[in-house]
Amino acid sequence: MESNLLRVNLTTGEIKNEIIGHEVFERWVGGSGVNNWIMWDHFLTHDINCDPRSPDNIFVFGVGPLAGSGAGSGVKGRITFKSPCYDMFGDSAGGGKFPYMIRFTGYEYLAITGRAPKPVYLHICNDEVSLHDASHLWGKDTKDTHAMLQKELGEYPSKTHTLSIGQAGENQVGIAGVVSDALRIHARCGGGAVLGSKNLKAIAVQGSGSIKVSRPESLMKWSDKFRQSLDANEAVYGFKRRGTLGAVEMYQHIGSHFWRNGQGNMFRGGEITSDNWVKRFHRYSEVCSSDCFIACDAKYKIDGEESKAAKNYIGESFRRPEYLTTGSAAGALDVRDWAEVAHWGKLTNDYGIDNQDLSCSISFLMELKQRELISDDDVANLFGHSQSLEWGNMNDIERLVEDIVFQSNTFGKLFGDGPYKGALRYSEMMGQNFMKYAMYGKGGASFTEEMRPFPTWMNNMAVASRGADHLKGLGLIEKFQRRDLSQAYFGGSEAADLSIPDYKGASTAIIENQVALLNSYGVCMFHWMLDPAGYMPESYYGDAYRSITGVEHDSEQLMRDGERICNLEKAFNSRIGMRREHDTICERWMWEPTDEGMYPGKVAADMFETVLDEYYQWRGWDVKSGLQTRSKLEELDLNDVADVLESDRALARD
Amino acid sequence: MDTQPQKELVTGETWYQPGDKIPNVGMKLFALRNQCTECNVCEVACSLVHSPDGEINPQLSRVRIDHAPEKPTKINQEGLGFVAEICHHCGNPPPCAEVCPTDAFYYDPKTLAAVIDQDNCIQCMECVPGCPFDVVFVAPSGELLKCDLCGGDPVCVKACSTRPEMLNKGKQYNRMPVLFYEEQSDFNQISREEPVARDEVGMMQAMLEAGKISSGA
Amino acid sequence: MITVRTEYHSHFKEITGLPGDTFELDQPLVSELAKQLTEKYGDKMSALLMDPDTNQLNANGTMYVDSKGRRVFIEDTLEDGETIAFLVGIAGG
Repeated sequence: MESNLLRVNLTTGEIKNEIIGHEVFERWVGGSGVNNWIMWDHFLTHDINCDPRSPDNIFVFGVGPLAGSGAGSGVKGRITFKSPCYDMFGDSAGGGKFPYMIRFTGYEYLAITGRAPKPVYLHICNDEVSLHDASHLWGKDTKDTHAMLQKELGEYPSKTHTLSIGQAGENQVGIAGVVSDALRIHARCGGGAVLGSKNLKAIAVQGSGSIKVSRPESLMKWSDKFRQSLDANEAVYGFKRRGTLGAVEMYQHIGSHFWRNGQGNMFRGGEITSDNWVKRFHRYSEVCSSDCFIACDAKYKIDGEESKAAKNYIGESFRRPEYLTTGSAAGALDVRDWAEVAHWGKLTNDYGIDNQDLSCSISFLMELKQRELISDDDVANLFGHSQSLEWGNMNDIERLVEDIVFQSNTFGKLFGDGPYKGALRYSEMMGQNFMKYAMYGKGGASFTEEMRPFPTWMNNMAVASRGADHLKGLGLIEKFQRRDLSQAYFGGSEAADLSIPDYKGASTAIIENQVALLNSYGVCMFHWMLDPAGYMPESYYGDAYRSITGVEHDSEQLMRDGERICNLEKAFNSRIGMRREHDTICERWMWEPTDEGMYPGKVAADMFETVLDEYYQWRGWDVKSGLQTRSKLEELDLNDVADVLESDRALARD
Repeated sequence: MDTQPQKELVTGETWYQPGDKIPNVGMKLFALRNQCTECNVCEVACSLVHSPDGEINPQLSRVRIDHAPEKPTKINQEGLGFVAEICHHCGNPPPCAEVCPTDAFYYDPKTLAAVIDQDNCIQCMECVPGCPFDVVFVAPSGELLKCDLCGGDPVCVKACSTRPEMLNKGKQYNRMPVLFYEEQSDFNQISREEPVARDEVGMMQAMLEAGKISSGA
Repeated sequence: MITVRTEYHSHFKEITGLPGDTFELDQPLVSELAKQLTEKYGDKMSALLMDPDTNQLNANGTMYVDSKGRRVFIEDTLEDGETIAFLVGIAGG
């Protein structure tokens, strides 16, 4: 397998192509793994401690080999960069059509450095690559940007697909995301701010070339089996109709939501606690990322009668809210009307901003107001005008979103990097310590789900390489109490037992390697989760990967590849100075017991350190510092990485 | 997987002389309009199965996904999603073959689908406007692309995701895909079935009310 | 003989049309409950609830918990008066 990396230096305007050879895929699989290698390499010759908004930062885009190759498992593009809001390793996935179309240009990896003197967009049309003035796009949201570029660039030699930033990215808001085709957002870690700081408004692609598959017969055989297996699971049909919204009732039942800044774990307000609303709103189109056999999304139109607030949004077209859109609106902000939740989803996608950190920045202040820790005067100072900070008040919430997106007042400026930095800055400004009300995990990243009863999820929030995140070490075994999977992975049922710390850190360690593979294959995670045959992605997708790339790694080698990829991400963070003490979570999760849901009285502190120890042990890292050892890195053929870490004094002794 | 028409049987020989009575295609493709999710898997699969070099390229596909033509209804003002543009395998000889000046169309012995033989095709492109459904496509290389039913096991149908909307009571479809490979009469039967387990106002209802379920042929 | 209650959510509720049921089981087993559920609600319930290859409860995209929030499997026993909730769910996104 070979691919092309397009290097763009926006300062000089230099554009050049580099071949990524087969040996790179042998080492880094593809997608996420290759992105990490490109970024690691970049920071060997650039200052890794640079300001992420400086021209020295790199923005990498990559798409893995299974994306759009007929696997039917969706397409996920991956962006990788140093995070401007968390100041550490940052990456984010996004589907849509852009990652599919870019493969037909022949460029599957982009490395963008420098800063353009004024706003530009990058146009990749097969092998013709050019930079263009984007002043007419600047100030437009992602939906309009996409529509304008499609109109401007037309449908020859193919339809135009785009990756763009909205106003949040333009204003370098730290939690700004990047949107693919106005359909899907790479929300996490602030990739939008990186592009905004580079004056790169959008990337538009048109491709009429081909993707080569190494062994097509073998791939087609795999795809047939894959589709039949998924089709055989009745639960897939429920997922097609609801998407991740299916989690609402389950989480309501067990107490796994994140209500009012995490004070509770169940939604309030009857309508919002069930997914029945999918029947009431008018669905007019399915929506799907390319090459996806499932199609979990749909477009709806508000007629005005569907809910109390629907009359405010008549004629608005929105996509079905997925779980975290709901978790951030109905959960963190206690919005109780589905039309308003949908509107929130539209706002955050159009402006191009992460809904997790955005909602938790707002809910932090709402809680301070609720507890009367700040006065009306304090609020007026912060906003420049009065603000109700009322839970669930969508009109006011929309103003707060605009404040952050447009950086229009002190609030916007303080909280543009998320609730952790916002709370630190606000505490300093007020001369008080409000940190116990800030909700975050590693790096200061937020996540709108209840954590305290779930030790694996808690561990994920503390150790994920890109900051608190549920996906890197996805704790399915534990939250769904899959003792069958625990048995398969570890030979016993402990990993599925919520009441003990055993095998929770181990779970994170193993699953992180598997998820690294999924992210490197370029596939969506839901097929894997829904298919009974799917729980070991190294074997599940192994044949597809080998058939497409000709990289003949068996399951064991693939797991080692996944582990290598995770270790490179860790090494990046170690170079920046991150140690065990940074693998941490907020006070509420650590110390404040749950008081509702099926698992009351839980705090993370009971098991946190034990689970963290176990995670490092399973990773083969030093338990005291959290750092990697040379022997572990050598085992993974990462001697060169060990050398760099050693010279940075970021290597633990063996 | 034997999905290519038997090329050795169609190259170099005309199965039917001009003026011969050619039997029509029996089982053909149908698409439930407006169920399509634009997943592109059919395009990917079609291009791959026809490629001698293991190439995937939607521009080499003989089925194409497009936006459904906008047709305001009382329920929906924006048109209804996406549609799979499929070859309708018109009565033989189909219009595309009739306008061909060089006799580059042959008939697959199994399916009786009209197949373009690239060795004889002079790429004049008369078949493109000649097709009443605009489903003869031109590849970037200039090659003319027409659906050949994959020799009787159409890969697009296999690739098509089944949708949860309709349960076909009694026949072979537990869940309905967008693309079907059926006899006309069977498809008529399928498409007349009421949707089950859906009381949702929206696409299905609009589709039924507007009479949009059709084979298009 | 024991009595158990069931609670249906989301996709399960669409199949049953009811928020819940009461069942009397000769044997205090999840397998007995599953049998009665599939008998009462037919193919659609069977398709969602059971994995036909393994005769286990379908585990992907579904969740079944007792009143203490513990997941039940086909081989588990049930207590008299217990409530089992039938849920769908997926993480991520």
